[in-house]
Amino acid sequence: MHSNRLGWLLLAPTMIILFFFGVVPFFYVIWVSFHQWNPFAANPNMVFNWASNYRQVVFDAQLMASLGVTFAFVFFAVVSELILGYLLAQAFMKDFPGKAFFRTIHTLPLIMAPIIVGSIWKLMTTPSIGIIPSLVQSWFGLDLNIGQSALAAFTVTVVMDIWHWTPLVTLSLIAALVSLPPDPFEQAQIDGANKRQIFWHITLPMIAPAVVATVFIRLMDALRTVDEVLMLTGGGPGSATRYIGVHIFKEVFPRTNYGYGSAISVVVLYMTIVICWLLYVGLIAPRNTKKG
Amino acid sequence: MSFAFKLGVSVIALTASAGIALAQDASAFWAEAAKPYEGVTLHGVTESTPPSNYIKDVLAPQFEELTGIRVDIETTSWDQMYDKAIKDMEAGTGIYDMVYIEQDIVYAYLSRDFLTDTTQLLADNAALKSPSYDESQFTTFAESFRGENGHLYGIPVEAFIKPYLYRTDLFNDPEHQAAYKEKTGKDLAPATTHEDYLAIAQYFTEWGQANGGELWGTTSQSHTGHPASWYEYVETVLPTFGVYNWGIDAENNFAATVGSGGRMNSPEAKEAMRYVLQLRDLAPPESVQSTWTETATTMAAGRAAQGMIYGENAAWIASDENQSRVVGNIGVALPPMSEGVLEQAQAGEGYVGYYDGGAFGIPITSKNKEAAMLFLEFIAQDELQADWAVAGSRITNNATYEDPKVQELDGKLGGYFTMLKDQGAIFGGAPAYPFHAQLREALAPIYYQILTGQIEADAGVDQMAQKAEEELTALGYRQ
Repeated sequence: MHSNRLGWLLLAPTMIILFFFGVVPFFYVIWVSFHQWNPFAANPNMVFNWASNYRQVVFDAQLMASLGVTFAFVFFAVVSELILGYLLAQAFMKDFPGKAFFRTIHTLPLIMAPIIVGSIWKLMTTPSIGIIPSLVQSWFGLDLNIGQSALAAFTVTVVMDIWHWTPLVTLSLIAALVSLPPDPFEQAQIDGANKRQIFWHITLPMIAPAVVATVFIRLMDALRTVDEVLMLTGGGPGSATRYIGVHIFKEVFPRTNYGYGSAISVVVLYMTIVICWLLYVGLIAPRNTKKG
Repeated sequence: MSFAFKLGVSVIALTASAGIALAQDASAFWAEAAKPYEGVTLHGVTESTPPSNYIKDVLAPQFEELTGIRVDIETTSWDQMYDKAIKDMEAGTGIYDMVYIEQDIVYAYLSRDFLTDTTQLLADNAALKSPSYDESQFTTFAESFRGENGHLYGIPVEAFIKPYLYRTDLFNDPEHQAAYKEKTGKDLAPATTHEDYLAIAQYFTEWGQANGGELWGTTSQSHTGHPASWYEYVETVLPTFGVYNWGIDAENNFAATVGSGGRMNSPEAKEAMRYVLQLRDLAPPESVQSTWTETATTMAAGRAAQGMIYGENAAWIASDENQSRVVGNIGVALPPMSEGVLEQAQAGEGYVGYYDGGAFGIPITSKNKEAAMLFLEFIAQDELQADWAVAGSRITNNATYEDPKVQELDGKLGGYFTMLKDQGAIFGGAPAYPFHAQLREALAPIYYQILTGQIEADAGVDQMAQKAEEELTALGYRQ
């Protein structure tokens, strides 16, 4: 009983902070989402409008377009990061000259603020000035113009995200791989399993929790990407990279459409939870059931 | 020693003493007035522009030395500045004691009572009033920051027009003059009409492509995801086609479509849109990623023969060899315009281009209003203005025009300051709407789609006008 009270006491500061900086804002956003509120409208006050904002979400073509490009962005970015991250993690598991140096260099993008990443990529991709369009032109004869081509802008944002966040995946997977016991691998080799069989039947199942946790983190991050893309393309050309985070930012801050912006935020949060739950159900739950 | 010599020395000594005494008086005022606010730190937020950086780097340290009041000026991007300032004032947190108020947002701020009445603040606190401060010292641009009671709600810190800059070395080159004459039958001179501007742009772009590909005929602020491009259309180009106030008739229930009595989708507005697209195609490739800053950089890099450039960048483009490749080669002219626009502007019925700038205001939520007011009086002093004008090509005080340093720079700028003084009145600020950002964010996505070719120009202009009325209805301004 005493230790239980001490535990709550030690947890109290964290819980108080979480309450004020997590729980209160969360319920405030839900409260605002049921209001029409734009401080620069003719009536700047909050007006309760039931679920009108949520109804508007369903019929908002721009929002639906944003969701479409966001899912495409998340899919390509997270899948690429997972594959690349795994390959790099495997590479870093082996010894080679300069390994420590390369591992350090490889994690450098992680310590950069997203806004800086966006600025650097903007400098590198500005048509006729940046180094990337110049190289793409000289190597492949292609005109890479992220201000005009929707495909080019989309691709560059995906590549930028991969460059920025693959190191996180690598580090997570290195931690998972390092902790694997050697016995199952030795036994599999003795039984004559090839590399592909070892990967599918031993490595992947054993690191699955780490993979899923990493995917959850990256999925949530990718769904709310704002700073990098805002700096690189501003959501353009047109609405080609107006990902949901950028869309919410533009709706809430420049347009000061607080009520509707809050409703979109709540819907996106709900969708994120559902996606994560589906992933959990699809990848982890069956494994736990088998164990049970 | 002759009597005349002694007399001369005496006069010089007396003058110097008087000057030192006056300077000491002025210093004494700031030190004395600041005593109650000792230990205070003022926080300001502004856009990172040459004039604002001068406040941060030069004026704030001077004020700190005189008064002991610390001044932290946060210079950031235009979007972030508004984000931070509005959130602070809306939530009433009182983080900022000074916020930058661009001319186009002051009406929104006033409508929300965000700002302190500086005229009243000084009237209520006689000890705060500097002997050197007088509202009449400001140019007429200060009128933009007065409320309905005629009081000043922001102290002007920058004011500039968006003129037509052109490369004098190219325009005065005999070979170009002859070639252009041969091609068009006209003399190569700064354009006065849209047709001439396009013809010059076409000529130099073709010449650039044939000679190494590093010169284009014009700049173009055509970012396909940043509101700067939308602003270029509504505030720089539309007025030159005779469409004012974004084509919205505020007196007629905020009508935007021609059908309702507005002009946002008038034939002139559609012609202006086609003109913008033509210019974009003649501009350097980076133009589709260019905001107001990058067009200046393009001009300074010598990549464009002419362009519409915000005046705050004119000085460094024309005179700073560390940043510009076209020093000494910049001329200034009025924007090209349709027939009758100049006459309408001179009669006060329209304007030929954009007159912008900003002021520092004190949020009503500031906890250090008096100390902030002292700082704003300090930076408004006439004697500080000349160096500031040279650093940021901005003039907010009448006396600044007469300063020798400013007049010398005016020569290098091809008469930009003279144009600001003599013809500033025919340029216009943003319309007095409290819904700038709201309408812009509703319309800009359509505009970006026009720029990328997803929507055809005429249809896009129609869509923008329709959307404007929908948005204004949703905001409650249009009945």
